[in-house]
Parts: sequence; structure tokens; C-alpha cells
Amino acid sequence: MSNSQSSNISRRQFLFQTAATGASVALISQQTVSAMQLLSPVDIANPLSQYPNRDWEKTYRDLYHYDSSFTFLCAPNDTHNCLLRGFVKNGVVTRIAPTYGYQKATDLDGNQAGQRWDPRCCQKGLALVRRFYGDRRCKRPMVRKGFMEWVKSDFPRDENTGAVDQKYLQRGRDSWVAVSWDDAFEFAGKALTNIAQTYSGEAGKQRLLAQGYDPLMVDATKGAGTQTLKFRGGMPPLGMTRVFAQYREANAMALLDDKIRGKGEKESLGGRGFDNYSWHTDLPPGHPMVTGQQTNDFDLCNVEHANLLLVWGMNWITTKMPDSHWMTEARMKGTKVVVIAVEYSATSSKADEAIIVRPGTTPALALGIAQVLISEKLFDDAYVKANTDLPLLVRMDTGEMLRASDVFTDYKLATLKNSIVMIKAGEKGPPIHKQPALVLNEKQREDWGDFVIWDANKKQPVAINRDQVSKHFAQLGVNPELNGEFQVTLASGETITCRTVFDATKELLDSTYTPDKVAKLTWAPEAAIQGLARQIGANPEKTLFTVGMGPNQFFNNDLKDRAIFLVAALTRNLGKISGNVGSYAGNYRASFFNGLPQYIGEDPFNPELDPNKPAKLNKRWKAESVHYFNHGDTILRMGKTVLTGKTHIPTPTKAVHVSNSNSLIGNVKGHYDFVINVLSRVEFVAQNEWWWTASCEYADIVFAVDSWAELKYPDMSISVTNPFLYVFPATPLKRIHDTRSDNEVAAGICKAIGQATGDDRHEAYWHFMDNGQMRTYIQRVLDHSNVMRGYKIEDLEKKAAEGIPAIIQTRTYPKIGAWEQGNEDKPWYTKSGRLEFYREEPEFRDSGENMVIHREPIDSTFFEPNVIVATTHPLLKPKSPEDYGVSSSDISGDTRQARHVIKTVEEVLASVHPLNEIGHGFIFHTPKYRHGAHTTAVDTDIVAAWFGPFGDMLRRDKRMPFVTEAYIDINPMDAKALGVEDGDYVYVDADPHDRPFRKWQNNPEGYEVARLLVRARYYPGTPRGVTRMWHNMYSASFGTVKAQKTNSTGLAKSAETGYQSIFRGGSHQSCTRGWLKPTWMTDSLYVKGLLGQKMAQGFVPDVHCPTGAPREAYVKITKAEAGGLGGEGLWAPAAKGLRPTYERDSLKQFIAGQFISMLS
Amino acid sequence: MPTRTNWQLGRDIEYPYDAPPPQKQVAYIFDINKCIECQTCTIACKTCWTSAKGEETIFWNNVETKPYGGYPTTWDLKLLEQREPAQWQNGVLKTKTIFEDHGPLDSPTGHHPTPDDYSALNLGEDDITGTVEQGGHFSGVHPMWMFYLARICNHCDNPACVAACPRKAVYKRDEDGIVLIDQERCRGYQECVKACPYKKTFFNMISRTSEKCIGCYPRVEQGEVALCVESCIGKIRLHGFLSTQGEPQADNPLDYIVKIRQLALPLYPQFGTGPNVYYIPPVHVPDGFLGQLFGPNVEKAKAMYSTLKNDKELLGALLLFGATTRIVTKFKVNENEVIGWDVKGEEVARVPFTEHTYIRDHYDKRFDVYRHNTT
Repeated sequence: MSNSQSSNISRRQFLFQTAATGASVALISQQTVSAMQLLSPVDIANPLSQYPNRDWEKTYRDLYHYDSSFTFLCAPNDTHNCLLRGFVKNGVVTRIAPTYGYQKATDLDGNQAGQRWDPRCCQKGLALVRRFYGDRRCKRPMVRKGFMEWVKSDFPRDENTGAVDQKYLQRGRDSWVAVSWDDAFEFAGKALTNIAQTYSGEAGKQRLLAQGYDPLMVDATKGAGTQTLKFRGGMPPLGMTRVFAQYREANAMALLDDKIRGKGEKESLGGRGFDNYSWHTDLPPGHPMVTGQQTNDFDLCNVEHANLLLVWGMNWITTKMPDSHWMTEARMKGTKVVVIAVEYSATSSKADEAIIVRPGTTPALALGIAQVLISEKLFDDAYVKANTDLPLLVRMDTGEMLRASDVFTDYKLATLKNSIVMIKAGEKGPPIHKQPALVLNEKQREDWGDFVIWDANKKQPVAINRDQVSKHFAQLGVNPELNGEFQVTLASGETITCRTVFDATKELLDSTYTPDKVAKLTWAPEAAIQGLARQIGANPEKTLFTVGMGPNQFFNNDLKDRAIFLVAALTRNLGKISGNVGSYAGNYRASFFNGLPQYIGEDPFNPELDPNKPAKLNKRWKAESVHYFNHGDTILRMGKTVLTGKTHIPTPTKAVHVSNSNSLIGNVKGHYDFVINVLSRVEFVAQNEWWWTASCEYADIVFAVDSWAELKYPDMSISVTNPFLYVFPATPLKRIHDTRSDNEVAAGICKAIGQATGDDRHEAYWHFMDNGQMRTYIQRVLDHSNVMRGYKIEDLEKKAAEGIPAIIQTRTYPKIGAWEQGNEDKPWYTKSGRLEFYREEPEFRDSGENMVIHREPIDSTFFEPNVIVATTHPLLKPKSPEDYGVSSSDISGDTRQARHVIKTVEEVLASVHPLNEIGHGFIFHTPKYRHGAHTTAVDTDIVAAWFGPFGDMLRRDKRMPFVTEAYIDINPMDAKALGVEDGDYVYVDADPHDRPFRKWQNNPEGYEVARLLVRARYYPGTPRGVTRMWHNMYSASFGTVKAQKTNSTGLAKSAETGYQSIFRGGSHQSCTRGWLKPTWMTDSLYVKGLLGQKMAQGFVPDVHCPTGAPREAYVKITKAEAGGLGGEGLWAPAAKGLRPTYERDSLKQFIAGQFISMLS
Repeated sequence: MPTRTNWQLGRDIEYPYDAPPPQKQVAYIFDINKCIECQTCTIACKTCWTSAKGEETIFWNNVETKPYGGYPTTWDLKLLEQREPAQWQNGVLKTKTIFEDHGPLDSPTGHHPTPDDYSALNLGEDDITGTVEQGGHFSGVHPMWMFYLARICNHCDNPACVAACPRKAVYKRDEDGIVLIDQERCRGYQECVKACPYKKTFFNMISRTSEKCIGCYPRVEQGEVALCVESCIGKIRLHGFLSTQGEPQADNPLDYIVKIRQLALPLYPQFGTGPNVYYIPPVHVPDGFLGQLFGPNVEKAKAMYSTLKNDKELLGALLLFGATTRIVTKFKVNENEVIGWDVKGEEVARVPFTEHTYIRDHYDKRFDVYRHNTT
């Protein structure tokens, strides 16, 4: 090719193009200038070797240039927390980068993190530049018009019931008014005061009863109207002061109660604080049932120590993105990665072995593995005898554990010494940070008793106390029988039959959970079940179980935990850096800040104003689970029996103030039922937000708060998956809009109540914040927390500003759950001090769950839902529906929750889901994906456009709600059978009895908004019968459905609020609902309290309470519209032969590797 | 037409220009086994370089799922469809490159994507090659599979964009081998868009010029890795330079992994451009498919990757990935760590093979507090 000819071509082409597009070229001065250059052409002989004029390269250097930078902490609810560096140009943050400061993190002893931790960030975090300045920013306080009218009309109510007229409650359809901060606080303060007054005292109770609330819930208010005020900071460890401010606010409501009822500082009641970890179904509820404490887990970096890694129901590489490299690097270094999932997940692509199982069958699969371990004698006999309840005796007459005092005359309880602090009932014991070990009072000790084994050597029962675990047991020299049935003569002279937990469990496993039967239940082939068992058995202390949110979001989640722990305990895989069980969902461990009562339990009547003194504690607020609110604001009743434990009973919810969360309203399970049927009974809804979410759509006041980049007060957070302590540094960036801190909002509302009631105590309660001394509150918490004490907030903040976190001061770095039990022979937080696989409490026996069994999912099954899968067993004696006064044939959703019907594997497989009759047939599950952290940052355009196959920055199809849109993944063969093409729009309908909302038949407008309408995506990675929709997208609202009809571009963006939906109709939550399970709500289970080492019984928020089953739905899928542009024909990529099952020949050749040949 | 040596093809190729190699050649290694398709690289690049009007569909960096995905759509399939399948014999390409298909005055073989091809950015995300069965169970090479392919400009030895530009507005920098489109000189003829087999030049409708990945030269000039590398949380990327003067150096991590060990392989070497992003092939994918993309050495590279635990030097080099924002030019493996130095000779990485563990006292006397793991 000659160079001159090349130049000629270019000149010709240029002139041609100039003629064709002359006008536009003339507009671009740069090009005009260059056109002048053409007149004296620059001769470039060989651009490969030499280029004459490179001055233009300055353009990109200038683009890259920045004026300054600062660090902020990005902390959505994704468990990671990333210190990020924002680069500022002309006062605007233009780009964001990781800090590479993690490798510089140190602890109080100078130990340093390694260089493999960095970088930590993700695409959502780096795209925040488009959110800080985005059009959906909450820019100033906004008030819903109808609410403002209600306030300004002085809170009119129905004379008889006290209810508020629905004309004031048109949430989602009303218009909005911008107001000043003072007005917003005044409205909120007055509303809360009015609601508390209305529902206080006997008159208040009568009003609530007249409104139809459950009498037990009304009683639970104890006459305090403030108890109907609910506060929630979403996953509050994400903002130790900022998000927990909601609970301090709840405590301050005691001052309001005192004003209303005059009960004083000892008896006034604050508001109620909603739960978090359990509300999000992140709590693995079986962990406390086995270990006695909230959750066992470990930092994900530990996986490189294991030989075998089981990634179980966890889409690691999409939900634990910055920690994915620990897994892929472990694999590089020889760890075998086994992925168990309900599909070929993204993470399956990193698997050395993969198994695809039926959704919701994890308990069966784990029990099948346990059966193989036991029948092939692959378990660790000594470990099981010394560390589990499997050798302990169960009374076959009562189904309770045999106690030493039952057997031995005048038995005296052992004096416990192994890692325990005994106190008298009513005594407080040491403060949390000075608690060396479990704190137990004498009454609890007596209730627990001591246990009994059958000594094989002496052939007689021997008492065992909870000190005697691990090496302390080995030193006893007893040899407990694992197998057998024993006749035991009691101290009373009576002789009863007892069996070991092991023996009873083995019978159950051998009768019901053999590999062949489990294969039928779970789809996992027999060889896979046996292979797993043998691999785990061959790797004691070298197998790590990372269990994800998948199996946890099914109704049988507690059984799943108990079964997996059984496998781990049988193989000595607990409490070791390379052998352990971890549950991975949510960033929950508030107890790392277990000095929190200093902030959320400070006495509102006597706030400590000396910054150098600790706060005086007087916790007046109470916790409750949101799940009741999400269950139609009701508790669980079966016939005439109440199955919600007394310790759990919620109060009616009449006002809600939420911060840092879209999960209470916008992305709530059964969202449309919630906003249409439940929220309509709530009189005041306030939301703190910096981005207008679906929750804002249904609020009364939206308090516009600072984004992470603009925080003016420092704050702290932790992570459950990495060992760092994070500080949000106060940033130098000026507030972009008229926003305030979440702390200021809580304080502002309290002070407004103070003004409404003439009470200046509210002012004092937020003294340090008002004086710019928020650090005082933070330091108090640090000083009183086990793993924080020693750190100074000023030092932490300085490091954080440089992009460097600190290392949390737990016993070990990295964090290893149950390390003390695994390495120091300490008892578990249970009655027996052992890992407990038998639950003797009546609630468990009544549910048929005293032993670990499999229950079918409550909705997501092709078979009869929620049945207990077992053959007859002498210890399985659940209450039948008839025992509760309910017919066994009633399989409706509500009844199902406490319907204890036992069926054998064969009977289950022969049964059908009741909805099959009306054409339902697909399991529908809603996991989380890489493109959102829940809903956070999911609708940033440049992030969203990568979400799934339907992204299009130019929105060529006007039906698209946004630059991407929601879709349901369906097996191509299933779709074809339905006549649905790839890319078609479909309706997805769950149980019409209660979804998308109760009484939808009478509400066509609501139904149009609520009914799920999405694209179908042919997804070969999901087996037949199983469909999937991602959890992360913003739901359709009244405003967005209206906008799609009225906006010429078809964009689903509310004209009133700017809210942007990614659905045309409904959301993934159209198909879900709230569920309550009796074993989540017991009064009898002992668990370690949320903070510190004290034992508690019954309800403990985020530890023992409902979790719901948000992944369950059984749906019907109907074609709505063709996928092609404008609803005509095939969606273009399918038409072009680029999609699974539509492959054109060349794509088939490509996949088969035929575009290459190797000649010999 | 001049001929140039193409070491990836084991033979000389025809190319419109000849020149000595640059002083050093910017190069990247992407470990596909670690890629998680998070698109953090994509956004790091987008927010810094292509966030202006006219750049809505311009993504210098993207991550796609193979085999169903690609951005722009069918960027590679359309070129494969036009040409005979590559034939290799003993590591030598027997078929023609895109420069050799036609006469010497013609542009390289290519195709111009349609506007629709810039539509669905992540078409094919996570789609696998066959339908999974209920109870599917497999190990080793997966019977149905997909993998993530992260892509940027390859800053080729024989850039098709340079060859195609009628205005000679595309050039290769002598100091680092980065390939740039002169934004002042470009007239938007889009010949480079048509010619680039990777479709990593993009036309900007507003500026009416073609744009491409600039290899983050303002950072490289300061010894810093590219933004897509700095932000890669999968730690799949190593950014550095291949030696062009003399033999590959065993203490240069790029030379070591690419040239000496040949663990990382070029993408579509058969096109002939001499691309400089080198991929470690995914071990779970069949060789046949991978050979199309990465040439004849796939099997060997996969075997090497599967035995890394016994290959300390190579493992050490791989643990440099994502350790530092500095470009590592030299490395050494010690007993339990790998050390890296930057171009100034400063130590910028000291990476332990296994993360440290520390056990603290139960009672911390200094602060009068008990430490627990269960709090």
C-alpha cells in the first residue's frame, strides 16, 4: 500500500463527507480548524514508527486531572463496606476509585493486614458520581399533600374508632409539597404526639380494638400509645450512630409517654424498634437452635485454608464481589470448590464440582449426607461424643431430655466453672465489656439442669454437666453409648425407656433420608450425595461450609441450619479456620458494637452531659419483629391456638419512621398487599432517604438526608465477612442539596415533640450532637464494646480519611466463628454446653421438629406444601390440624403455616401443590445479583444498562421502563411449552388468594400496578420447573404505571416524584408474602442475648424471631405481548439467531469450536 | 506490502507498515478463572473517560459472557463468519490473517457493526451452552458452560486501526506501544471501527470522531496501572510491559507469565494483529471452543493452571495481581511471599501466599477488656 494513495483517499473521503454533512461540520470549530490544515497536508509516512504532532494528547491528561480528593465510606447493605476515594474537579466529584488502604490497616497491637485485601469497591460504588448529583436525589424535605391536610386540619378522626379517613391516606397517588426543615419536623412531631395520645390509656385500647386489631396485640401496648410508634434503622450496624439513631429516637418516646400518662422514668414506655437481620431473612434461625447464639460465620478470606469448600446456595461471585478473589485464589492454590445451587449460577462457573438441586430441599440434602456419614461410619466418634448432644439420653415417654435429677436421688446440680459467670436471679452481673464468658443466673441454671449419658463401660446412666465438653469430657474417662435404647430407673422408682439422640436420629435418617430417597426429594443424584459425604468425611477440620441466602429464604430454613450443622459436627468441622460453618446474608453483627446501650439505651430522663462520663442506662423502648406487620399486622393463630409466643407479641403499628432502608416498604415481601392493605391503616410514615425509592413513594414525609459523600458527622460500621472496623469520615464535600444528617432528623423530630408537649428534656437527649460532639456518643460505644475498646474515634477517623480502616479486636484475625469452642474447649451457648440437635421444647415437639427433619417448602414446591417428610417415628408426635380445631384438608396459605402433616417420601412425591388445579406449575425464586446491593444503586443508568440481556442505553423499544428492565428467567423448554418466545412479555401470577394483594378483584387500578409484567428470558441455566427473577429492581408504582401511559417516551418515571421503576407492572415482590412459622416464635428456646454474654429465653430480636420465607412462590406464567419492537414478532436478538435455542448455524459452529482446526 | 514477524503465529505476516518494535510494549494479563463480571472495570473507565454526550454507548472496557454475549453484539462472530476457520500446525498459523485476505491496497477484513449491535450491552449474560437438568451433577470440564471475557483495546503490535485509517490519524507510541487515535486529526471515517477485529474503536456521534481506549496513558506515564486494572476486585488483571528489546526477562512478571511460561494467551491471534491482552483460559471450558479464541496453547495453559499449587514461581507471579496501583516491572518469589518493584526500583508489593492469622489474649490487660469472637 503506498502512503500517497492512502492520503488521497482520506482527502477525497473528507471532502465528500464535508459536502454531505457540511452544516454540522461547520458547527464544530475544531474540525474547521483541522480542515484548514488539510490545505497544507501533514505527511505522515508511517504511523507505526513515527507520529509528528502529539500535543493533542494533553486533552486526556486534562480530562484526567483533578483538583483534590477525599475519602468516604460506601456502605449499602452488602456486608462489605468500602472506603472510596472521590476525585474533585471544580467542586464536583467526577470519579471514584478504591483507596488501596486496606493493606495498611492495623489493630491495637500493630498487627497489619496483608496486601491481598485491596482493591475493595464495585461498579455500583464507582458509579455513585451519577447518584450524588442524580435527578432522583432527595433534595429537600417533602410532605405528602393529604398528610399535610390531615395535620393542618388538626388530625380529624372517626369518632368511634379513632381511624383516619382514607381521603388523607392516598399514598402513592397523592401529590407532594416541598417544605422547610422546621415545618417537616413540626408536622412529624405533632403527628407522633397525636397518634400516641390517641392510642394511650383505656380509650386508646378501645379504639385499637374497634379498628380490628388482635386483642393480644392491643394488650401488648400496656396502654402506652407510644408503643404503637415504630422505628427502624435499616441494618443499623451500617451506621452505628446514624442508623441506630432511630432506636435512640424510640427510647426518647418514653418522654412523650411520660407527658401523656405521667408514669415517670421507671414505667414510661418508649416506642418500638423493628428488627433487622431477621426481618431481612438474613438470620439463619437454626443457628441459635444448635449453637445457642445468633449466627456462626467466618471471614471469607479463611477459605484458602480449607481443602474442601462447599458453596451452598450462595451466589458468591455476584453477592460477595470484593471477596470473590479469596475463593478463586484458594482454588488456584488447590482448594476444591463444590457449588450446590438450584441452577447453573454465575458461581457455578467457578466450580470444580457442581450439583443442581430442587429449591428448598437443603434440609433433605444435608440429612442425606448425614445418613451416609453415619451408615458408612465416616463420622468422628470422639468429637461427636464430646461436643454434641448426640450421646445424651431422651425420654421416650415425654420427648424431653433426661435430666440427672430425674435419675439420681437428691441430685445436686454441678457447680459450673468452665467459661461461665454465675449470678443470682435479678442480679446484673458485670458490664458487657467485662464479661469473660457466658453469664447465667441461678434460676436459668436450675431450669437447665444436667444431662445423662449411658456409659458403655459401666452399663449405667451417668450425669453430664455443661462444663464437660471437648477435652473436659475426654478427661472424664466415660464411654457414652451412641446407639441403643435403655431402660432407666428414675429417682421416683419408675422405669422409663430412653434413647440417645444419636440413636433416634439414626432411625429417622435410615428410614427416610437414605441416598435413594433423598435423590428423589432433592434431585441430587445418589452418587452426588454419597460423594459429598465421603469428601466431607475425608476432610475433618478441612471443610468449610459457606451457606448463602438461597436456602435461608425458605420456610424450612431453621431445619436447614440444624441439618447442615449435623453434617459439620459429625465430621469435626466447626470452630476451625479451615473447618467451619458460616451463614452469609446481611451485615448484621451489631454485637461487635455491644457497647451500644450507651447510645440507644441512654436514660432519656437523665442524659449524661459530661462527655467524659459514660451514659446512664434506662432502655425504655422495646424490640419487635416486622414480620407481624408484614403478615397483615397480625400474629399467628391456628384455630383457637395462638402460636406466636408471649414474648414475641407485637403491638399494632400506627406510625413508622424508617431510615437507611427500602426493605420495610419499597422492597417488602408482598409489597402490594403491604402498601394497599396494611399501610392504609398506618397513620404516619416517615422515611429518611437520599435517593427517591419505592419506599418514598408511599411515605408521608421524606426527610432528605446526606449521601455518604456528604456526611458531616463521623460514624462507624463493621462487616461480617471481613475483619475491619470502618469509620465514615466527615467529608469536606459541601452538601449538594438542602439535606441533613439522619441524626439531625431523629433529633429534630424529638425536639419538635418537645415543642408540641412543652418538654425540654428532648433537647438535652441530643445534647452532644447539637454541640458538634457526636464523637462523644461514638467513643462511649467504643469504650464499652468487647472488640472495640482501646480505639479512639479521632485516630480512627484520621486513618479513615486516608482510606485506611482499622482491624476489629476480636480474639482472632481473621474472624473465625466459634473459635473458642473449636480451640479452647469452651462450651457452646446451649443448655448442655454442646451442639444440640434435639430440641425438647414443647413448641418444637408440637411442630414435629424436635428432631431434624425435612419439611417441604411452604409454597415453592410441586408437591403438597410444608408437609413433614418422615416415616413413623416414636419421637415425632406433632399436633395435627384437628388438634388445633382445623381441618387437615385446609391447605390454604394461612393455615399451611402451622399445618403439621407427616408424609413419607413416596407420599410426598405422589402429592401435588393445590395451585396445580388452576394452572400454576413453576417455582419462582428471587435471589440477589451483581448489579444491585438490594435495590441500592440499581437504577444508575450506566450500571443498570448492564443488568441482564435487555439493557439498551437508547431505549429503542418504548415499552422498556428504563435503560434496562426486569425479566423472568425460564428454562427454554418450559417457555416453548407455554408458547412463550425469548424476550416476550409475560404475566407472572402467584396464589390468587393473597397475591398480588388481598381483594385485588375489587381494585382494578391497584391490580394493574401490582400484577407482575416482565420480559421472559430463555435461561438454559435453570432446570425445568424453576423460574428466577432478581430481587434487586425497583417496583412499579402508581406513578410509574401512569407515566408509561402518559409520557411520550414510555419511560416509567413518575411525573410527580421522579421515581423510576424498572418494571412495567408489579415487581418480584408481587409474588411473595409474609409467612410465620411456630418454631421461630417460641417462648422456651434459650439463646445468648443480642449483645454480650447473658442468656435469654424466648424472643430476642435478630436472634430468635420470625424470618419469613421471601423466596417462596408458586406461579403461573401467561404470555402478554410479543417481544419484538412495538409488540410485533420476535425480540431482535432471538430473530437474529443469537439466543439459546435460536442459534444460527454460525453460532452453533462457534459453540462447538468449529472455527479452528489443528493440523497434525 | 512489508512483512512483520508475529510471534503469536509463529510466522511473518503482511502488514501495511513496518517499524522497529516500541521501546517496550504495554500488556495486560487477564485471568478468566477469577473474573466475576462485576463490570467495575467498565464503570471505572466509563466515569473517567467516556461520560460525555455522544458516548452513551461507548464502552472502552466491557465484560461479556461467552459464548452468547459480546459488545458490540456479534463483534467476533461476524468476522468469523466471513473467514475460513483458522488452521494451526505445530504452533504456526497456516491460514491468512485479516491483512492477507485481500490485495495490498485493501483494508483489513472487517465489518461495521450496525446501530442495533450497540444496543443490548450484556446480551447473553450468564447464558450457558446447554440446558441444565434437574439434578445435574458434574466436575472438571463442564458439560454446559459459560465464562466471562473482559475486554479492552489490545494495543496490538500490528493494529488494524492503524492499518485502516485513511488519514493516518491512528498511531502507536514508541515509548510504551499504546495505540491512540489523534482526536484532532480524526475525521470520523470509521475505517478503524470497521477494521478493528475486537471492535474497540467507537464512533462518537457528537464529536464525530472515532474514540478508543487510551491505555490510561496519563496514568501509565506516572507508573500507575490503568483504571480498569486498579479497580479490578476480582484481581484478575496484571498490567505491565513486555520486553521488546532482546530476550524475555524471567523477573518481569509479564514476560514470565506470557512469554516464558505461556500461561496467558492472546485473544484471536489468528486475526494477526498481535494483541497484547493475554488471557489465562478458564479451566472448566472445553479446549475446542477456547482454541478458537486463544490459539493452539490452550490445553497446556489449562494444565499448568490446574497444578499451580506445585508451581511456586508462577503462583507467586499470579499473586501480584491487584496488589498495588503501581506498575510492577520486576518481581521475586521468596519462601512465603512474592515481592514486586516498580519502574523506579521501589518495592511496591510484598504479598503473602497465605493471609496472616493473629490470636489475641482473652483478657486484654492494656485496656481492661475481654475479647471474644462471639460478642
